[in-house]
Amino acid sequence: MIEVKDLCKRYDGRAVLDGINASFAPGEVVALVGPSGGGKSTLLRCLNGLEPFDSGSIRVGDDVLEPGALRARGTQVSNIRRRVGFVFQQWHLFAHRTALGNITEAPRYVRGLDAKAAMALGRALLEKVGLSHREGAYPSELSGGEQQRVAIARALAMEPEALLLDEPTSALDPERVGELVELLSRLRDDGLALVTVTHEMRFARELCSRMLVLHGGRILEEGTPAQVLERPRHERTRAFLGLERVVRQEAPGGLEPGTTAVATVFPAATARE
Amino acid sequence: MNVSGVWRGAGALLALSVLMTSCVQRREVGLERVRKAGELRWGADAQGGEPYAMEDPDVPGRMRGFEVELADALARELGVRARFVQNDWSSLIPSLERGSFDVALNGIEITPARSGRILFTRPYFIFQLRLMARRDDDTVTGLASLRGRRVGTLANSQAWDLLQREGIHAVPYEGVEEPYIDLEQGRVDAVLMDDLIAQRYGQPRAVLRVVGDVGEGYYAIAVRPGDEDLRAALDVALGHIARSGELRQIFARWNIDSAAQQRMVEWSDAQTREVLAQTQTPHLGWAQWVMFLQAALVTLVVSVLAMALAVPLGVGLALARLFGPRWLGRLASVYVELFRGTPVLLQLYVLYYGLAGVLRLDALSAAVLGLGLNYAAYEAEVYRAGVLAVPRGQMEAALALGMSTPLALRRVVFPQAFRVALPSATNDFIALLKDSSLVSVISVVELTKRMTITAVDVRGWLLPGALCAALYLAMSYPLALLARRLEARLERG
Repeated sequence: MIEVKDLCKRYDGRAVLDGINASFAPGEVVALVGPSGGGKSTLLRCLNGLEPFDSGSIRVGDDVLEPGALRARGTQVSNIRRRVGFVFQQWHLFAHRTALGNITEAPRYVRGLDAKAAMALGRALLEKVGLSHREGAYPSELSGGEQQRVAIARALAMEPEALLLDEPTSALDPERVGELVELLSRLRDDGLALVTVTHEMRFARELCSRMLVLHGGRILEEGTPAQVLERPRHERTRAFLGLERVVRQEAPGGLEPGTTAVATVFPAATARE
Repeated sequence: MNVSGVWRGAGALLALSVLMTSCVQRREVGLERVRKAGELRWGADAQGGEPYAMEDPDVPGRMRGFEVELADALARELGVRARFVQNDWSSLIPSLERGSFDVALNGIEITPARSGRILFTRPYFIFQLRLMARRDDDTVTGLASLRGRRVGTLANSQAWDLLQREGIHAVPYEGVEEPYIDLEQGRVDAVLMDDLIAQRYGQPRAVLRVVGDVGEGYYAIAVRPGDEDLRAALDVALGHIARSGELRQIFARWNIDSAAQQRMVEWSDAQTREVLAQTQTPHLGWAQWVMFLQAALVTLVVSVLAMALAVPLGVGLALARLFGPRWLGRLASVYVELFRGTPVLLQLYVLYYGLAGVLRLDALSAAVLGLGLNYAAYEAEVYRAGVLAVPRGQMEAALALGMSTPLALRRVVFPQAFRVALPSATNDFIALLKDSSLVSVISVVELTKRMTITAVDVRGWLLPGALCAALYLAMSYPLALLARRLEARLERG
């Protein structure tokens, strides 16, 4: 269980996060959506201790992360990071290690497993993400989808309670999105809390149980994808989703699952916030 | 480059050297050339200092010394003007041969090796070989007491030859002051030099004593073979100024005159012939091959040890600049700029002679330390660049997994930085292998120094030069191969 209380972060005098309250429970998948610059990615990075914040708190189980410089919060930060996995938009696999090596690194040197146990764990996770046959491949030899799966397996190797994914569909071929949905559903069923930033409404609707619309550093609206997408309460949400509908109408034959048409309307949407 | 490429390269080098040698031999004949030019160009080393030839401290750019006055007098006799040409003392003879100047006039002793190679005029000065030791060391009683011990002198000098013949370990120096500094410091057991040098640079030192004079010799002017008419003219001129008393007046002005110099006045051509009759036919024998290999070993040991020092120190400096507190980073930057921005030659001098009073190092340790400290500055920059080349995302991904910063650096960033830095580091090591030749200024006989000494001994630079080059290649090429193989292995990731 992740609980976020009154989370505020200012950057250059501008409020990036402005009083966020939210909780993420095991077995649920939450989508963070909203226009670029709304604070989605920053919130995600705060949840893993990659980004410091100015006030409020983040609680994961019995570990609490308080405001202030990350350096000063060393133990808090590393405890939170062990309990919350992060999958980067560009995956950031360790370029000098094989697929298996990427996964065994943290169990071996952070959790303190011996080499044999780490290897066994790594192989089991590779099997879970369907990449057993690629364990000796280096990141440069893997496709984007394969790299993402290794990155997910790498995060799972720390046995986290939650997994954070930053725009997981943005660098995937459309036909691969279905496989990702399938994999993440299984992780949800295993009891992980999943939080994903996305611009892909179709992906969010298929996978997520809850949707948070962030705008100007605040949660504008919250609900099931059906509620938010069909009956948005807020004018700004409507405007944001309205553009989404335009795309839907313009696209011949409607949207196939996992198309990235939104990106054509929001050129900035694929860029990092 | 493959092996056949190496041989092709060596062949081209050889052809080039031969071409250069043959060009030098096409020239006008001696006296006529000097008269035509209206000047007698004489080569000497201002670093040799008093009383020979040195820069006038009061009038920068002007030379003074007894040889300056001698050159002026001789030029006047020939009806031309004298012009000084600066040249390193140890390479005066080769420079004379390749035509950098008309004569070499700088305390050049008549030795059998030299008289087999170039022409000498009649002598102009008689000197004594003076042996000096430390006052507190009474074990030095003469040459016989020094067998197997270290005695400093100038390479390829008459004293050098004498020490070799007596089975004494001769330590070669390039300057006249450094051997006495080392004698004071206990780095050599004695110094054998011409009395003129001993008087000025050795005897004023309170802790040193004169053991005695162990031989005598002559200074003469060196002339290129083929310039026999110039030599004859100089012999006449020397005889003239000796008989007129001018020669001894010059000596008197520089406090080097003695009754013995009267023999210069009464010198006959027959005596010249007798002195020059002793010539040696030098050759590159087995003993010299062995010495080359020993010198190559010195080069290798100095380089490897210096690199072994430079790598960890460079890592420390790079870490200080990248991750250390501000003041430490600043300090590391100052170190890097200081050692990178000043010549390594200067650093070696300061370390070995400049700090001799506080830090008593033997020559080999000073060489390793000097090169190591210098190369650490370069290595620091190479490693820093390597770390900076690793994408930020790698560090972030490691931190997101719960790794501490040091662990993330050790397991994720540094291995990748190593891959980036390896080619530059290899390059530096090969450069160090060659830069190690600079340590000859602090009396370490490494490969290049051995080559120059041998080249002078055997009257030729081509064969010793080629041998020297081959030995350097034999050391650097396997290193390059090894690095390439390592790079290829790391390439996959």
